[in-house]
Amino acid sequence: MQKYKALFTALLAFVILLQPLSAPAATDFDFSALEKSVFEHSLDNGLKIIVLPRHDAPVVSLVTWVDVGGADDPKEYSGLAHMLEHMAFKGTATIGSRDAEKETKLMADEDRIFERLRLERLKGRLADPEKLKNLQEQMNKAIANAYAVIEPNAFSNILQSEGGSGLNAFTSRDQTAYIISMPSNKLELWMAMESERFFEPLLREMYKEREVVAEERRMTVDNRPMGKLVEEFLSTAFKAHPYGNPLIGHMSDIQNYSREATQRFFKKYYTPSNMTIALVGDVKPETVVEMAEKYWGRIQKRPAPPRIATVEPPQQGERRLTINDRAQPAMIIGWHIPAETHDDMPALAAFADILGQGRTSRLYRRMIRDEKAAVSVSSYAGWPGSKYPSLGVVFCYPAPGKTNAECEKMIYEEIEKLQNQLLTDEDLEKVKARAMASFIRGLSDNMGLAQQLATYQQIWGDWRQLFRELERINKVTPQDVQRVAKQYFTASNRTVSSLETIVEKASADKATATGETKK
Amino acid sequence: MIDRSYQKLSSLLTIITFLVLFSGSAGAVDLNSLVYPALNQIAIPEVEEIKLDNGMRLYLLEDKTLPLIQASVRIHGGSYLDPVEKIGLAEFCGELLRTGGTEKYSSDELDELLESIGGSAETSIDVIAGSLKLSMLSSYTELAMDVMAEILQRPVFEQAKFEQLMVAARSSVSRRNDQPSSIGDREFEKVIYGKDSPYARHTEYATLNAISRDDLKAFHQRVFRPENVQMAIWGDIDSKQIVELVKKHFGAWEKGKEPIPDFPKVDYQFDTRTNFVDLPDVSQSNVYIGHLGGRLTDEDHPHRIVMNNILGVGFGSRLFKQVRSKAGLAYSVYGVFTANLSYPGTFYNYVSTKSESTVKAIRMIIDEIKRIQNEEPTEEELKLGRDRYLNTFVFNFDSKGKIIERLVYYDFFGLPKDFLNKQMEMVKSTTAADVTAAAKKYLKPESLRILVVGAAEKLDEPLAALKNGEPQKIDITIPE
Repeated sequence: MQKYKALFTALLAFVILLQPLSAPAATDFDFSALEKSVFEHSLDNGLKIIVLPRHDAPVVSLVTWVDVGGADDPKEYSGLAHMLEHMAFKGTATIGSRDAEKETKLMADEDRIFERLRLERLKGRLADPEKLKNLQEQMNKAIANAYAVIEPNAFSNILQSEGGSGLNAFTSRDQTAYIISMPSNKLELWMAMESERFFEPLLREMYKEREVVAEERRMTVDNRPMGKLVEEFLSTAFKAHPYGNPLIGHMSDIQNYSREATQRFFKKYYTPSNMTIALVGDVKPETVVEMAEKYWGRIQKRPAPPRIATVEPPQQGERRLTINDRAQPAMIIGWHIPAETHDDMPALAAFADILGQGRTSRLYRRMIRDEKAAVSVSSYAGWPGSKYPSLGVVFCYPAPGKTNAECEKMIYEEIEKLQNQLLTDEDLEKVKARAMASFIRGLSDNMGLAQQLATYQQIWGDWRQLFRELERINKVTPQDVQRVAKQYFTASNRTVSSLETIVEKASADKATATGETKK
Repeated sequence: MIDRSYQKLSSLLTIITFLVLFSGSAGAVDLNSLVYPALNQIAIPEVEEIKLDNGMRLYLLEDKTLPLIQASVRIHGGSYLDPVEKIGLAEFCGELLRTGGTEKYSSDELDELLESIGGSAETSIDVIAGSLKLSMLSSYTELAMDVMAEILQRPVFEQAKFEQLMVAARSSVSRRNDQPSSIGDREFEKVIYGKDSPYARHTEYATLNAISRDDLKAFHQRVFRPENVQMAIWGDIDSKQIVELVKKHFGAWEKGKEPIPDFPKVDYQFDTRTNFVDLPDVSQSNVYIGHLGGRLTDEDHPHRIVMNNILGVGFGSRLFKQVRSKAGLAYSVYGVFTANLSYPGTFYNYVSTKSESTVKAIRMIIDEIKRIQNEEPTEEELKLGRDRYLNTFVFNFDSKGKIIERLVYYDFFGLPKDFLNKQMEMVKSTTAADVTAAAKKYLKPESLRILVVGAAEKLDEPLAALKNGEPQKIDITIPE
């Protein structure tokens, strides 16, 4: 549950993370010193190491960044990247077993019985109910037997009792990340354990953990109105590209995961050359490299994983969908835009900033401040991912008594203004100043910085791009913003999704009954 | 000045021995053989403390790492002061301080000013205190001081912004029953402190409609007085310049006429109660079990920290092992003993479990509360309980903001500067007998209050079977 929350937040955070940065107009702070203090190294097996030493406090933030995400899920196993993230906390051959030999045998029992159960289930209506029931009972027994010889949660337990703080992981469409901060003298413990789980992961509790993921799905998607809306929205917006697939997986796929399929996925994507570790804090680069050679160097070089060839074809007309729920209304509108590395992205980020970020944005002023039509409205460029062509989106929650339709109209009118009227240079200067300040603020936090270095390394193939983003946004002109507004934010390129409240007469007008405010 | 005794922390942490719950032998990695170097010294920076003639307290810390000025202001006074018919008053005041404009800057001007330089200033008021947090490039230091002075001393609560806030407030009342867990969090506070208690009550349409702009102004006049204000500023600053600017902007601020009333006492009788919120459609119950907690200054609180870690915190805790790992009844289960400085906190244990195992899970948790009173922790448990605290202790000092904000909080309540260090020393020397003694003294398994948010019809047994008082239904219908 906690992890999935983190995963969703990460989606939004990631968008913000990739916001372009602006020129140092208001400060003469020299970033080149910081950039020069970053150290990088690659092991022979291809693992990338990025280190930024900072000795303010004896702590270090540690990130393992894997270039695999929900977009890479196999067709028949949606959500597998996320499932694997769960499995990475289950320990290794050497951590978490009470009797390794016996455990191997008991896990093989689980696999064998599940395969028979799976094949029987796939017969659908022709499946033999007696056989299914019998196999399910055998399965439950096998799961219980295997569980009896493990030391549950040993992996997390060790790290946490040794001072690990903020142990967590998240899966997005584009990547899987594992994060923790440690007292800096425990660096070697992390090196040993983190490398071990990607060297020899043991997918123990695989079948039990599927149930946890299924619960997560029920909690975060099936029983959460906004979760449902997001899933429907994305599957409508993307017809070809896997950004449209559910990150947590379809329920039927979750229940069909096997250990073998998960292992195959791991072998394919968790190759050393497909991973980056980033360390920011009280560590010495030479110590880091020495330890990395010793521990991470054990992992065999393997071929690079395949990348996604499918390109979302141009949209041919507006797409709309509505879901009905007891909850209050909400809407998501999205337009197809290119990937983060495209030259139009800085202008699109500026457009999204001016349209719907902060209290001076066009949508806030019109819809929340002036017309009081919404209680929340915001826009982003590059969601649900940014590695591949993605979406520019607007999220909106109407105010009590106001409708999605009223809000939608206002959103389009504000976009039209940006298409028809050129911004001033001053407008753009503000965007740049905001990006600049948030860039500097980001530098103060070890964990945030470690994740940013890893992100830029993944998306651009070079962490230095983090420090180049300034130049990128500096080139944006009012004409650029107007051009991208016209080019991408068209009716035929958009998907409109809304959650409409099921009206129960007695309570429907309650929130609006006192429409007049007290003066 | 901060007590330099913090510095011996580094040597203390290094002598904590290392033992790993580790099994298996065939691996390439042998965690038991790892030897850790001494932890580098924790450098505790000196915070300069100054008191103005009008009573306002200032805390300064220079740190030139990044070109930023950061500020965190604590204002004594919160929603505990709200009149019963105007619940929401403090909260709205906190929101509008920043968003409702000031004498010098209209709300639009302030938004424009801050956003055009990428600066941020945000305000809020919670149950016991108000807060202003500011972050700007240090080249705007003078502006930062001007903005804080305007927000704290001269807010105008513009009519249009007041109306905008009312729309949002009504919306959040209307959405408050959308999630079972937020229903539970809200209602359990009321179960413990009482539905009308200042520590548990919340806004209704009626109370927010009763609040006027004049009320907000009066609340501000009463609470926002220099003797109630503690201002911490750190980052790329020049202390001398800041002191001058603070004197210029806040020196003439007049003291209040009368002191703010103290935090109200909590009137609590230990008894058994079982309450439920019936949500017929859900498949999972959210369960809360507990009673009134304690204070941070209780002399044996460090023992209680270790006790609570063993009972309910994290993967190795008894609750987790029994309810989740062994019985497989939950994804989420934990226990918390909160200890405030202002008023007693709460002891509570939480579990979310499918409807059909609700009563079973409750029984298990009650058994564990009893067991920790009667069964001394094993060496392993004791070590885990202490290490969880001791090994993460360094993270109390990993940012300047954490260090200075803690100092401000402790200073308000008159705690000594080495309070945290003493607590750590005591956690370190906690014995198994201390844990059992703390459990006996502070936990009352015979006087529990239970709240279940779930589908009454689907439970494995009726709640009455718990014999923990006659089950009472809580009606969560939102009053008109």
